[in-house]
Amino acid sequence: MLQDLINALSLGSIYLLFALGMSLVWGTIGILNFAHGAIFMFAAFASYVIVEQVRLPMLALIVIGALVGAALSVAVQVLAFQPILQRAKDLRSGEMQILIGGIGVAAIPLAVAEEETGSNPFGFSASSYATKTYALLGFRITNTQILVVAAALLIAVAVIAWLRMSRSGLALRSLGVDPETASLMGVNRRVLGLGSMAVAGALAGFAGVMLTYHLGAITPDSGDTLLIKAFAAVILGGVGSMAGVVVGSYVLALAETIVLTQTSGLWVDAVSFGVIFAVLLFKSEGLFGRKEVRRT
Amino acid sequence: MTAWYDSNIILIQSTFVGLLTALSLQVPIRFGVFSFAGVGCYGIGAYTTAIIVIRLGWPAPLAMGAGMLLAAVTGYLLALVLSRLGGLYLGMATIAFDLIVTVVVANGGELTGGPSGLFGAISDVGTVHVALTSLVVVVLLALSERGRFGRRVEAVREDPELAAAMGVEVRHYRQLAFVISALLGACAGGFNVLLRTTIAPTDIGFSLVTLALTMIIVGGSRSWAGAFIGAVIFTWLPSVLEFSGQWQKVIYGVIVALAAIWVPGGLLGVITDAYRSWQRSRRAGGSSDVGPGDGDRGTVSPRAEGTPA
Repeated sequence: MLQDLINALSLGSIYLLFALGMSLVWGTIGILNFAHGAIFMFAAFASYVIVEQVRLPMLALIVIGALVGAALSVAVQVLAFQPILQRAKDLRSGEMQILIGGIGVAAIPLAVAEEETGSNPFGFSASSYATKTYALLGFRITNTQILVVAAALLIAVAVIAWLRMSRSGLALRSLGVDPETASLMGVNRRVLGLGSMAVAGALAGFAGVMLTYHLGAITPDSGDTLLIKAFAAVILGGVGSMAGVVVGSYVLALAETIVLTQTSGLWVDAVSFGVIFAVLLFKSEGLFGRKEVRRT
Repeated sequence: MTAWYDSNIILIQSTFVGLLTALSLQVPIRFGVFSFAGVGCYGIGAYTTAIIVIRLGWPAPLAMGAGMLLAAVTGYLLALVLSRLGGLYLGMATIAFDLIVTVVVANGGELTGGPSGLFGAISDVGTVHVALTSLVVVVLLALSERGRFGRRVEAVREDPELAAAMGVEVRHYRQLAFVISALLGACAGGFNVLLRTTIAPTDIGFSLVTLALTMIIVGGSRSWAGAFIGAVIFTWLPSVLEFSGQWQKVIYGVIVALAAIWVPGGLLGVITDAYRSWQRSRRAGGSSDVGPGDGDRGTVSPRAEGTPA
């Protein structure tokens, strides 16, 4: 039982690292980035390519993953989302095109990684980091798990504190409430947009490297699955609420662990889809989100 | 001609199935409803048809009819349940619905064949049937893009508040979009399973959403012709791109991304724009009231002129 709880905690931490960036971008500059999963995967893939050449410690791989993630994320923003938003005639058609553009862009890194690996799983077996397992009071925990949980919670607290307390955090939140007015008040949308995309990409890259260490190996298409799960976590917590993402990620991971241990078959994936459906139906603002008023 | 036809029969059939699938996502977009439920209904239609043909041995048209009926009812229920949602939220909820369908059929045990799917749905359905059905569907949809009905659909998409103020029952039109989408999706799924005789959960997942969406984006989302262009391109592109070997998927991704970002109206939009500016420049040759470059470029749809009905 305690063992399941620990597994749920580390799974939830991966979801959290991934979903945090997605929620940051969605809740502030209003972009639902469908390429987030591909960025996540490609950052881990780039680290893999490098570690195959040079034997590197974990910290170096994390830095590489975060940098690749941030660079890709900024590139997507500059090359895809900004041109779309400039040309869109209103917010609604822009939203749709960003979703579709994200799906299109995501196909490129996925194709490259699948081409290089032959769609097989890749891992960091060449890294100098070794997984250790500790046995405590009858349950087992690896050093990777401890690291993932600690990093996820620390980063989540840091992001929340930044948004709540700093000037740039306030500016970013104001964009989420009313972009027009915020711009008139001197908030630079372009710079903040790029900045939050870079942070989101770095978090995705970090999550990618950590998940690869945690599982031993990942497949190129694991980004797509995670995207839907992160979406479920964000929706559950409420779009725009960072504390909501934390709760959403862990609740989802716990629910999935329960389903995995209590049922036979492949019902695990249905949890996230069911959560998306149920939350949107019964409490569309999520657990902690603001109520959005829409007419017609 | 017949030699070409015989050697490419699979691709010809796939083009029509692809067209129907693309249309099932395009119709709701044309109504201003951002729903991907058509792909889930493709799964429902395909599995219902396969189960009935294999287990009960009914004739193919009846089995497909049953699949389409079930999908239409599901589509209508979805429309009722999801009526409060709009934009991205509706899109994601319907993607969740599609994926739930795949999980359910993967866990269906004996009935759906589990993860390996169903085999041996044999019937006498052939290219002629799917081609004729596509023709009928296209004619009906082309009619729906014209006249009073077409203008109302445009109003519901471009400005729901205005449409409601003009006395158009926006809610009914949106429900109609869900039902049409479900029928088209189930029809495509039914044909696909009868032509290929197999169906598996991996055939109806997120990749099908991406494929159908790709067809519409590259072809054009405003008219059935766009879906047709897209279906032709993305069914035949893989055999054309064979020279590029493994990089085929990368080229695919680049095409889709470029189309989504820079050509929101799709190829159809480019063609219509080119035709219009050609016509305009011809007219400008006679009387110079409208210049060829009067700033009216882009891919704005033709708006209804005069007072609405």
